[in-house]
Formats: sequence, structure tokens, C-alpha cells
Amino acid sequence: MKYALFLGCTAPTKARNYEISTRKVAETLGIELIDLTGFECCGFPLKSVHYESFLLMAARNLYAAEDVGLNICVLCSACTGTLTEVNRELASNDKIRQRVLSKLGKQDGEYGFAQNIKVKHLIRILHEDLGLQKISSKIRRKLSNLTVAAHYGCHYLKPSDIYDNYDDPENPHSLDELIEVTGARSINYEERERCCGAGVLAIDEDIALSMAQKKLENVKASGADAIILMCPFCGAMYDENQKRVETKFQTNFDLPVLYYPQLLGLALGIDQKQLGFNLNKVKAYSLLEKIG
Amino acid sequence: MARILVVDDEPIVLDGCEATLTKTGYDVDTALSAEEALMRIKTGRYNVIVTDLKLPGLSGMQLLKTVKDKDPETDTIMITGYATVQTAVEAMRLGAFDYISKPFTPDELRSIVGRAIERRRLLGEERLKATKNRVAFEYNMPADLYYLPEHSWVRRMTENTVDIGIDDVFQKTIGIVTDIELPSAGTIIEQGNAYAELYGIAGRLYKLWAPVSGQVVAVNEKLKKDSSLLNNEPYGEGWIARVESTELDKDIANLLSGDAMIQWWLRREIVERKTDRYVQVSALDPDFKHEIAKEPGGENIKVCFGCGICTATCPIREIDTRYNPRKIIRMAILGMRERVLKSDFIWLCSTCYACTERCPQDVKFTNIINAIKNIAVKEGYIHHAFTAQVDLLAKHGRLYEIDEFDNRRREKIGLPELWTGKGSAEKIFKTSGLVDILKREAE
Repeated sequence: MKYALFLGCTAPTKARNYEISTRKVAETLGIELIDLTGFECCGFPLKSVHYESFLLMAARNLYAAEDVGLNICVLCSACTGTLTEVNRELASNDKIRQRVLSKLGKQDGEYGFAQNIKVKHLIRILHEDLGLQKISSKIRRKLSNLTVAAHYGCHYLKPSDIYDNYDDPENPHSLDELIEVTGARSINYEERERCCGAGVLAIDEDIALSMAQKKLENVKASGADAIILMCPFCGAMYDENQKRVETKFQTNFDLPVLYYPQLLGLALGIDQKQLGFNLNKVKAYSLLEKIG
Repeated sequence: MARILVVDDEPIVLDGCEATLTKTGYDVDTALSAEEALMRIKTGRYNVIVTDLKLPGLSGMQLLKTVKDKDPETDTIMITGYATVQTAVEAMRLGAFDYISKPFTPDELRSIVGRAIERRRLLGEERLKATKNRVAFEYNMPADLYYLPEHSWVRRMTENTVDIGIDDVFQKTIGIVTDIELPSAGTIIEQGNAYAELYGIAGRLYKLWAPVSGQVVAVNEKLKKDSSLLNNEPYGEGWIARVESTELDKDIANLLSGDAMIQWWLRREIVERKTDRYVQVSALDPDFKHEIAKEPGGENIKVCFGCGICTATCPIREIDTRYNPRKIIRMAILGMRERVLKSDFIWLCSTCYACTERCPQDVKFTNIINAIKNIAVKEGYIHHAFTAQVDLLAKHGRLYEIDEFDNRRREKIGLPELWTGKGSAEKIFKTSGLVDILKREAE
């Protein structure tokens, strides 16, 4: 299994623990991740401003992957949504594809542009391409002492019409199953589908922090040892900004925030030092002690 | 501290105004032309602009129109070398707060600027009270009168005779009237020129502009003994003078009444006070929904039947009621183009897609709001956070810069080096036309 690794803007700068643990876990599971110098911002911030620029930025990245004949593994859910949406648009709309190709200085037909590229979130690759059975066979340490809360976020499964009926956006299970394969228990909690608020952080910080507070409160109330993420935008809210939420709302969460590869890495027997735990803002000492 | 900008092509006028207003405690800037004034306005916001009507280059009237367009909350006072009713009413119809005739005394200047600042303070209080659902100030404007808006009223008594007085807004902005200088019977007054003077607390002087021309046949002597009638009964016992006019129809044609007066007030309420209470049908753009439907993502706006599931499901709406998906679609379909595009609420979508997933009509509201934002950007309304993001992408190809230092940190923890430098975003923005759009907005 070989993919072009799309890091996006946030993972390599604000969530290097996510990137480190992903690379380590991929190596252990036999997934080859190739870094392409052609990758830039996916274009997500531009959708609100200028649709044409959004199309071109995303298309450029898709073209870079098709150039080397690789499907794309994406870490950030917003990047996944953007690249998936534009990929479908280019594949199905000749007029838009011709216009985009022309503006990027490319010829249609030369590369079968974006007809053959698959864009998948890392979690979907693990769940669908690799499979639970294969992962289970590699587990070295069951994390049976842990109870964690899965946070799916918004763009991994929505809008559902671009994701060809993969999982259920209203009642998803893919991340829960991936959690349970590690031996940890994935707990249900109130308002699981709630957005992290990162989308409005730059517009209205108070609203964004209020949204993060609601989620953290619900997860804490469930008794979970940690919240499990799959998107660095969500990480920016729950991990990087947890202290600010605590200060604003005069409360205390001290809730460890893990990216799924960090959890899986522990179960695969990888040393926590190689999984970027030292880069987690909210330290996971209590969780690591619990699993021994 | 209130900021005042004085605009006049005569340096001696500028010096005098600056000295008077600075001593009063305002922060004052000056400009010798409308063009210079517009440059100053770009770099800072002013509470009040005092401008001569006649300027070299762009006129004071053109400056007023530009200021009203850019910032309706800045009050403009016109300086005129001669008072004509056309000048006064046109300026006030365009949104000028008031006018002052040359030559004017420092007291007159202080009073008129002070009244503008007081009115803004009252409006601010009203908004605050409105947001707390408390009864705000109400302004009485009897329907059977003619008005020089926010200044005087005229009541037709007979074919050629009128009573005149100050309106409710004017008296609220000047506060308690302590004394009045009435014209004497027999005085000839001219529409647009001063005919009486009021004194407020701390001796502030307010000149009253005659709303009609003619001969004063009677004055309200009760006011000399009890000036509080002006505050308490401005339209009744607080009348000021009775005037016999030979050209009453011509004078009244320059004033506002009935529907015209309502339109004038609605414009103030909607544009300046930004209240949601009124739908001004004449300001609606029925093509707006079609415009949105033509934008990528906006195609399904017309299938919305207003069930409100989007609003009920919206996590932003739960926290901040400014953001209401159903209301936004309703406003868009009704045609409230300007209000929607200029609003701050269209930028509050978190793109969680909850509304899109639950919509029974497949409206795809997340895409609709993106389409609306795209139109807003083309019109020059873009949230500064997005300007900053576009700027970062143009410079670095990412939202966060990665430089050699970052790569050394990555290397230390076993991560591969990433490319540094510009990337291709800037070139893409030129090809796509985004650079031109943002350049227009900056201008």
C-alpha cells in the first residue's frame, strides 16, 4: 500500500505529534507514505472567498499526485473534504476541468487528470483499505484499561454526498471500531456530533471557545480518559486551546487529547517517545500510567 | 475623546475651527480639500466631519455622499457661505446632520458639533436598550406636519399661515432649553436662514433655521416664561412662531412629510441603526436570489421552503443568535442584498455541514453561505481574517510559514524536511482574478 502523504498547513506546524505518530504507525503496518514537494495548501480557506481560486489550489495538488500515479492519504479532515470535492467536480464536469487545466497550463487527456486519483483520510485508509483484521493481527498490547471518546469532527464524513456512502455521518462507527481494535473502549457521550469550532476561531474567538467548551464538558462528564481526534483543526481547539477554554469558563478539564495514530501506536507496541506524546499540550501522564 | 475632521479650502477657517474644537476637548484634524479628507478617513475614523460645501475638486456634497456610503455612523455638518433651502434639505436628505452658515461664532460651532455627538450617544443608548429588550427613546413625528428632518416642523393653519417649532429629535439632542431668543412680530424670515436662538445648559447656543419664508405674525410668548414647553410639548404648547407666507406651497415642497418622512426614517433605522425591525420594500433586490443561484454552490437556494431545520441544528446559532441560517436565506430570497452582503453574520459559519445533512430540500446551506460570501468579496466586503489568510497563502503557499528553523526542529524529531519559500498560490491568485478583486477592495 503506497500513498502520497498530504500534510496540509496545520499538521506539520501545529500537530507534529499527529504527523510523527502517523509515520511511525504507517511504517509498522506496512503503509508507504511518500512526501511530494508539489503539495501546498489544499485551498480550503479560499472556498469562502473565491471559488475559482479554491478550485485551482486543490486541483494543483491533485495533479501533483496524479503526476506520480499515487492516491492521496490525508491527515486533516478539512483537506480531505476539499480534495475529495474538487476531485469529484473535475472528474464529472468537463467544462470546469478544461477551464482549470487551461489555467494551470495543462492539457486534458495527457494524464487522465483527476479521473483516477483516490483521496482518502488516514482513518478511512486504516478502516477500509487495510482493515480491522489486519490491524488486529499487529496489536502487541491491548489497551483494555482505557476508556476514550471518539471525536469524528465535521469534514471526515460530511457533506455525505461527496463521500460515496462511506460510514454514516449521523451515526458513524469507523473510528469507534478502530479504537476498539486497540482494546480500548470507545464510550458514547452527549452531543458526539458537535463541531469543534475551529472554523470560526479566526472570526469570533468567543464563539469558537464556547463550542470547544461544550464538547470538552461532555467528554469529561462521560468519564473518558482521553478524547481521540483525527484532525489537526480539532486539535487546535481541544489541545492547544484547552487551557484558554478553562480560563474563560473558570473550569478544569485536564483532558488528554490524542490523535488516533498515537493511541494505535501504543497498542502496536511502539514506545510513546516515538509517538510525539511530548508534543501534546495537555500532557497524557495519567493515561500513560494507566496502561503501564 | 471624539474625533473631528474639519474640511475647508481656507486655512484661516481651518485654524479657527481647530482652535475652538480643540479647546472644547475634541481631537481635531483638518483638510484643505475633499480629496485630502478622504485620505484621512482611510487611516482613521471620525465621529463628526465639518465640511465646507464649496471645495476645489470634489465638492462638500460629494464628500458627504462618500462618507455616508462608507460609514453611515459618521455625522457630517455642512458649512455654507449662504443658506438656501435646497442646500439644507438636499444635504439633510443625503444624511447630513445639520448645516452652519458663515460667518459663525465659536459658540455656534461648539453647539452644533456638541449636538451631533449627543445625538450619536443617544442612538447608542437606544441600541443598547433595544438589545436588552427595554423600551428605548421614541421620537414623536406627527403625521400631519412638514419637517426639516431632525430640526423643525411646520403645521399649516390656514392657506397661507403656519405655526413652526422644533421637532422631538432636535429637542432631545440639545437637552434642557434654558432660554430662547424669539423673533419679534413683523420680522421677515427666510427659509434656511436663522430666525431664533435657543440656549441650552452651560450656555450652549443653538440657531434655528426657518423652515418657511414669510412674515412673523405672532410668537409664543409663553416660552419666555417657561422654556420647558419646548422640551415637553414641542408640537403643542411649545410652538415658536406663526408665520404668514406668500409662497407656502413652494416652501413646503422642499420639506418632508408623510411617506417621504417615513422613508427617510426607515433609511436611518435600517442603514444607520442597523436594526432588523423593518423591511424596506423599495430597497429590495429581487435578482439577488438569482445572483446567488448562479454562484458555484448557490444553485439550490430557491428550493428552500423555510422549515428551519438548518437553524435548529446549527451549533453557532445556539451560541450566537446573530447567525441564523433560515433568516439569512429569507433575507436573501426577499432581496436584502446590501444588508446581507455587508453583514458581519455571514462570516460566522463554521462549515460543520450539520444544516446540509439535515435539510429536507437539499438546499445545501453551507454552500449557499459560501456563495453569498463570494459575492460579498466581489463587492468589497471581506472579513479581515480572510484577507490575512489570502496574504499568508500568497507569501508562503501555506497558512503557516515553514522556514529553515522549522526544518531543523523537524529534523531533530525525525521528520523529513519540507519545502520552504513562496509556492504557487500567488500565481494562482493572479490567474484566477482574486488579486484584482482584492485590489479593488483595498482601493
